[in-house]
Amino acid sequence: MSNTAITPPERADITRFFPVKTVMALRRNRFLSNSKMIGALLILAPLGLLILCAPLLPLQAPLQTNLMAMMQPPSLEHPFGTDRMGRDIFSRTLEGVKISLQVGLSVAALALVVGMLLGTLAGFFGGLIDRAIMVIVDIFMAFPSLLLAIGLIAVMGTGLVPVVMAIAIADIPRFIRLQRSLVLGLRTRAYIDAARTVHASQFWLMSRHIVPNSLAPMLVAASISAANAILVEASLSFLGLGIMPPAPSLGNLIREGQLYMEQAWWISTLPGVVILLIAISFHFLSDGMRQALDPRSRK
Amino acid sequence: MIHQGEITAPLLDVRNLRTEFATDGGTVRAVDDASFSIMPGERIAVVGESGSGKSAMAMSILRLLVYPGRVVAGDVLLEGTNIAQLSERQLNQLRGRSVGTVFQDPMSSLDPVMRISKQMTAPIMRNLGMNYKEAHAEAVEWLRKVGIPDPERRITAFPFEMSGGMRQRVMIAMALSCRPKLLIADEPTTALDVTIQAQIVEILKKLTSEANTAMMFITHDLGLVARLADKVAVMYAGRIVEFATVEEIFAAPCHPYTQSLLRTIPSPTALNTSRLPQIPGLPPDMKKAIQGCAFRERCRAATDICAREAPALTDRGASHVAACWQPEGLGSSPIDAQPDRALRRNDGPFRDRVIVEINNLNKHFVSSSFLSRTKRNVIRAVNGVSLRVRQGETLGIVGESGCGKSTLARLLLGLEKPSSGEIFTEGLTQMVFQDPASSFNPKMRIRSIIEEPLLVKRKGDWRTRQARVEELVKLVGLDEAHLDRFPGQLSGGQLQRIAVARALALEPSVVVADEPTSALDVSVRAQIINLLADLKQELGVAFVFISHDLLTVQYISDRIAVMYLGEVVEYGPADLVFNSPSHPYTKALIDAVPIPDPAREAKRASAVLKGELPSPLSEISGCTFATRCPLATEQCRTEKPKLRQHRKSREAACHYAK
Amino acid sequence: MLAYSLKKLLQLVVTTIGVVMLVFFAMRLIPGDAAAAMAGDTLSGAALERLRDQMGLNDPLLVQFWNFVRGLLVLDFGRTLTTNLPVSDLIRSAAPITLLIAIATIILAIAIAIPLGTVAAFMAHKGHKTLDNLITGLAMIIDLMPSFWTALVFLLIFSLTLGWFPASGPISWDDPYSIVMRLALPILVLSLSQVAILARMTRTAVLEVLSEDYVRTARAMGWSELRVLFRHALKNAALPIVTVVGLSFGNLLNGTIIVEAIFTIPGVGTVLINGINSRDYQLVQVLMIFYALLFVFINFATDILYRALDPRVKF
Repeated sequence: MSNTAITPPERADITRFFPVKTVMALRRNRFLSNSKMIGALLILAPLGLLILCAPLLPLQAPLQTNLMAMMQPPSLEHPFGTDRMGRDIFSRTLEGVKISLQVGLSVAALALVVGMLLGTLAGFFGGLIDRAIMVIVDIFMAFPSLLLAIGLIAVMGTGLVPVVMAIAIADIPRFIRLQRSLVLGLRTRAYIDAARTVHASQFWLMSRHIVPNSLAPMLVAASISAANAILVEASLSFLGLGIMPPAPSLGNLIREGQLYMEQAWWISTLPGVVILLIAISFHFLSDGMRQALDPRSRK
Repeated sequence: MIHQGEITAPLLDVRNLRTEFATDGGTVRAVDDASFSIMPGERIAVVGESGSGKSAMAMSILRLLVYPGRVVAGDVLLEGTNIAQLSERQLNQLRGRSVGTVFQDPMSSLDPVMRISKQMTAPIMRNLGMNYKEAHAEAVEWLRKVGIPDPERRITAFPFEMSGGMRQRVMIAMALSCRPKLLIADEPTTALDVTIQAQIVEILKKLTSEANTAMMFITHDLGLVARLADKVAVMYAGRIVEFATVEEIFAAPCHPYTQSLLRTIPSPTALNTSRLPQIPGLPPDMKKAIQGCAFRERCRAATDICAREAPALTDRGASHVAACWQPEGLGSSPIDAQPDRALRRNDGPFRDRVIVEINNLNKHFVSSSFLSRTKRNVIRAVNGVSLRVRQGETLGIVGESGCGKSTLARLLLGLEKPSSGEIFTEGLTQMVFQDPASSFNPKMRIRSIIEEPLLVKRKGDWRTRQARVEELVKLVGLDEAHLDRFPGQLSGGQLQRIAVARALALEPSVVVADEPTSALDVSVRAQIINLLADLKQELGVAFVFISHDLLTVQYISDRIAVMYLGEVVEYGPADLVFNSPSHPYTKALIDAVPIPDPAREAKRASAVLKGELPSPLSEISGCTFATRCPLATEQCRTEKPKLRQHRKSREAACHYAK
Repeated sequence: MLAYSLKKLLQLVVTTIGVVMLVFFAMRLIPGDAAAAMAGDTLSGAALERLRDQMGLNDPLLVQFWNFVRGLLVLDFGRTLTTNLPVSDLIRSAAPITLLIAIATIILAIAIAIPLGTVAAFMAHKGHKTLDNLITGLAMIIDLMPSFWTALVFLLIFSLTLGWFPASGPISWDDPYSIVMRLALPILVLSLSQVAILARMTRTAVLEVLSEDYVRTARAMGWSELRVLFRHALKNAALPIVTVVGLSFGNLLNGTIIVEAIFTIPGVGTVLINGINSRDYQLVQVLMIFYALLFVFINFATDILYRALDPRVKF
């Protein structure tokens, strides 16, 4: 803050809290100067805030029934209306979003870690390890993803943990393939050769060169995977094979509203819009990351 | 402006052409106020480095630029018709018929899923009004003219079934088959080997003069300019800075850029005892508006006026214009502030101490097909190579693509395991790679990049490593400010310096440099060549310099090894090999190299090497070069010549080397 | 080509064996066993043991596996536990409906998506961003709409509110009209997301081809934009598009499960969900294999088609 003297007066208020340098740095930051990224934040940040503040808001608890206010259309008191048992759809939706985000982030994290590990092994070492991993990947990828998740749920049962596991297992083969192809591309880069001429160890090559350079595209994929996982969880719950009622997952809410489509359209439609918004924001996030992390746009 | 005294009207008249590209970083004015004209049958070369706007100018003429590029201003008159004002339909009438085009990369310029016959006959039928049968016969005839053997059969091929040289011939046949009045050739030989390049240039010269077709030849290679152009336009930072006949450009250049460029090229005649003159600095950033003369920051003759105002093209002779405020350009002053230091050949006390010895080295790549394990394809990338590198000398390895020079480099570094044979090295071998963009981990700062070898080998503590890194970066002519940048923030030339610094970190005895300058612009190449020459002298480190560029190899090397199809065919002191080659392939290679001297080019025989490199899969029992050798006899085809010493300190693999 | 086909066929066989083994052994991982899971709390002791015997669960594992594989080979999949109908009959009546939905969707989606994607790519290439942004933006949103939600909204609008299509009712092969009316909405819903995926992929593929050197060559030879687009760009872009159609078939199968559930259509998906809900694991494992093999075979076919279309791959 050596340049206070030349700071215009109207900026002085902002700079009291955020020094000029910080503001400038934020504007130059390659994540925040990116419209897609801002779009994602504009959806996710208020949603996150709402979830965190939900207990403080004058909302009916998600599981509390109110037989005096059944099947009410959206109003100020009940922004998304109420259901057959007079439960507030809005607070149930917020609860559902919490579950959705949990599922999305856990699946993305699981798939990223396992996918990077196995994909790196397959791509870097090749040979028998590669073949073994890829045969198993091919077998898992023979199933359409939702179907595989359904089958795994049939084996593991319903609930949050099995759902996360099932969706992650269905998603991991894709991550292994992506990481493997990235590693195959990186393995022939000249900087790997340069490190090999000084006899750097395999571990050195992987940890210093391969993993850091494959991380960016993998994070982009993880973000898409989170969106996908949220949609799959909703589908599973909708089919009655995911999170079981009375826990209000978004898919559950829509399933419950399905029977009352004619009388109470809001029960199913509004949570659906929220799912769509979350999915879009994660896609924006991945597009934004792709742009920000693209080495061509870095100067 | 320059067509005084000429009777006929120009075929193409470009006036004040301006082309811009909208990019994220700002508007790039790729072509700025370009004016020139081409007479019927005239051959004009446009020379410039990458980013000088020469390709953008060519594309602008036919309005072939794609988004985000567009022509902003100017007129292009082709036989009096203003192309800039034509409708899309009228323009299509003109393209292909009046103006033919050949592009740089033959591998990607033909539609991969369409047969040659279809790609060639369709334009002939449309433009010359022939039926399919006539058009087909015409296409076959053109393929014959451009030197494609067995054209009746080859015309049914898909592009992927042909080599790059053959595809470029097809492109030329396609462009000329509709008998255009003008041929625009955008770096048509850049992607090709030097012997193939010579063939293509001969074909272009012959066919265009036969039909009196004018040609606009875009290139960065001044040697090619001397070989085929009548007039030359030199471009720098989007502007034409000099335009003259080819004789005047080479004999009496007026613009400092042209003058500098001509001096930085290693000359095959000079004794190469002095350092290569180098142009300091880098071309300007085209995303920023350029105030004044674009070349002034690299120009020793620049004065105040150069910074204030951009010079316009002014007359310097009967048909010679240049855009420079100084009447003489640089005059006779040197182009660089650095004094010309003597370039010493390897004559130190250790010169006979061999530090790398390669004995009968083989590297065979075997691929087998899925159905039959017995049918195996063997590529002999390196075949029975024996070489020695002495302390503090530079061994140049030359050869065309596929000759095994890069595989040899990888073997030397231990990146590939030899199939058989031995390599003995004293001390460490390090490498400088061809492509500066992929040589560095983009996620690491320059400091960590140079430090990496020290860290891997656990050399010293943090403090001594940092001191060594700073020492190295100064050694290669950069400063500490560069250490905290990422590779993406440095230019190609700076990156190659960093690559050298990294290679020197562990004090190796040999540094292998695989085409270290081929990805760089002409004006920057001399800087790297000089750096390597200085380092050899200062540190006594030996270099193995691998390149397809004979002039550069000849300039920097003490000894040269010439490779052909995985074998060393000639080995000896650089000057002797270059000036009196023993092997016919070496001779052909040297003959094919264009020399930036129109007088010498005019005198040279156009006897270029016939044919192409045989498939690396083919089994050759005799001499590998016999299929293309003008001197080949029955003995050559049956008996394989060994590399043998035939004169003092010279070896060649030819039965007839004397 | 032959060598390639054989190699792919070998891969297909390996994958198939893997799929069968995975499904069989995964079903043995069910806590307790299939019989206990099916019976829930209703049976105990001797009765449960009888059920185990009846299901063959007391045989050694390898014998069970062999019986399972033999059943698959002779198309004898056993009987359902709840209704005691032959599983093969069930599949025979359900599969045609699912396949009809899938094939109709693919045809509809290709017919809409390829022109749409091509137009978007062409506009993007020319620098006309508005239409391109509109198409790609819409495609992204449609792709991300949960299909069950879209289906419900369509049901609400077109069946319940406008009454154009029946929301329920029998499906009979003797009555084509009933088939059209009952399947129209599910096909429409499914093709929406397929169009979204295919249009984006087509756009990417065509856009990439349009910046290729040979497209510039064709322009320089004086061919019109349309000829360049059809003769050169689309022909080359067809290769990656074929692959995408194959891969998005998996998505399509996922979708059929959901629309069958919502529109109460007696396809394979409905049988599967019923099977899971009634814990009929023998039925579930057969259906899992059915879906997987269908998907694997489609990808095999597109792979071969790709090779056949590309002259560069010949052996």
